[in-house]
Amino acid sequence: MSNTLRPYLGAVRQTLTAAMCLENFSSQVAERHNKPEVETSTSKEVLLNPVIISRNDKEKVLIETSVNSLRISIAIKQADESERILAHKFTRFLTQRAESFVILRRKPIEGYDISFLITNAHTEQMYKHKLVDFIIQFMEEVDKEISEMKLSLNARLRAVSEAYLAGFN
Amino acid sequence: MSFRKIDIDALEEDALGQDELDFQEIGELRPQHEVESQVNNRAQEVRSLLQRGNAAGALTTSLQDPPYGRNFGVAKARNTQTVMEVLNSIKVAEVPQLVKTLGPQEQDVLMKYLYAGMAAPEQNNSGVLLAWHEKLTEVAGQGCIVRVITDRRTV
Repeated sequence: MSNTLRPYLGAVRQTLTAAMCLENFSSQVAERHNKPEVETSTSKEVLLNPVIISRNDKEKVLIETSVNSLRISIAIKQADESERILAHKFTRFLTQRAESFVILRRKPIEGYDISFLITNAHTEQMYKHKLVDFIIQFMEEVDKEISEMKLSLNARLRAVSEAYLAGFN
Repeated sequence: MSFRKIDIDALEEDALGQDELDFQEIGELRPQHEVESQVNNRAQEVRSLLQRGNAAGALTTSLQDPPYGRNFGVAKARNTQTVMEVLNSIKVAEVPQLVKTLGPQEQDVLMKYLYAGMAAPEQNNSGVLLAWHEKLTEVAGQGCIVRVITDRRTV
């Protein structure tokens, strides 16, 4: 299982590093506005090709780049119903606190579970390699986190049902 | 308020369209049937090369002159399938050697097809493509990825 994880994360890391060449760029449509072009997509010439990196049909990453912003959307592994619920709760928890994560997008892109929006302001304030590291670490941790939560959920379920059914003994 | 969503700039005469952008990089498009027959011929050629065990020849042949442009959906899908067949039939141990023999342009085209393959994980084996991606980035560097992201000649 983990033998495809390393190349997967490696590919995401290389692609992100390559794509994260952002510069300040004012809107060509509205004067004195400066918006992330990947979100507004008002001028076609500054949008680059979106790429998808997939590990299997459940786990994939979409990287959309433009001249001054980059959007990365992650589809988290969800093997069964309880993992789906846990992933939803987890991403909801994070997106509701999006200001504290700076690059987190409040709403994920259709078909993905969580999205990040990196603009030129972020790459100017923060180190590029640390931003990439953050995304990669997030992808590593989120799988671990969800499988841990699933284990504790099942343990709790077992304890509760034992305690409850003991009353009928 | 729906009138605010109308893109009035697109109605202007000198608006920059997708066709114009594509034309700057791709140039004049070839006729549909010509492209499709070329892709089909190449698929057969590649298959016969693979049957003879000439993996390197099959790889370079499959990466030659890919169909570019917006209207060639069928031909593009067919050509991607051809490249995927080649990639799947080559052993992982041979990959670094083969990648080194490719020229810079072929490496770029191969990278394009790797991303195109990974975009459809239901049809292709992502594990194989990820292994290829790793080896290709080692040889061709990140510039190769940048060229794929910025090139309008998509596959």
